[in-house]
Amino acid sequence: MIYGKIWCVVKPSVGVPIIIGAVAVASFSVHLALTLNTTWVKRFLNGSAAQVSVAPTESIQPVAALTIPDTPRK
Amino acid sequence: MSDRDKVWPTGLTEAESEEIHRHLIQGTQIFGMIAAFAHLLAYIYSPWLH
Repeated sequence: MIYGKIWCVVKPSVGVPIIIGAVAVASFSVHLALTLNTTWVKRFLNGSAAQVSVAPTESIQPVAALTIPDTPRK
Repeated sequence: MSDRDKVWPTGLTEAESEEIHRHLIQGTQIFGMIAAFAHLLAYIYSPWLH
């Protein structure tokens, strides 16, 4: 097996946590960068909540537009 | 005593070192398969790369 003898010179209690930690840090930073630099990750993780919060503001405007402005009486 | 039975500075023989390495490689392969499956699901169900 290639590199199988590495644990003869590197203590497994040191080397294995370094390897697993490096993978964890790299993976976390890639996903954090995606979350911070895109809009769709937050929208996707919010699910339908993202649309619900937008809906009331849109429904108010047409109602307001339908009100009849006060016209001066003759 | 053959070289194969020599105890190295970490306290392991070559056979023990290779056994640890086999488990590490197997763990990496299982992790990789789960990660690949998770990325496939993310590609299908999220706007990622669309």
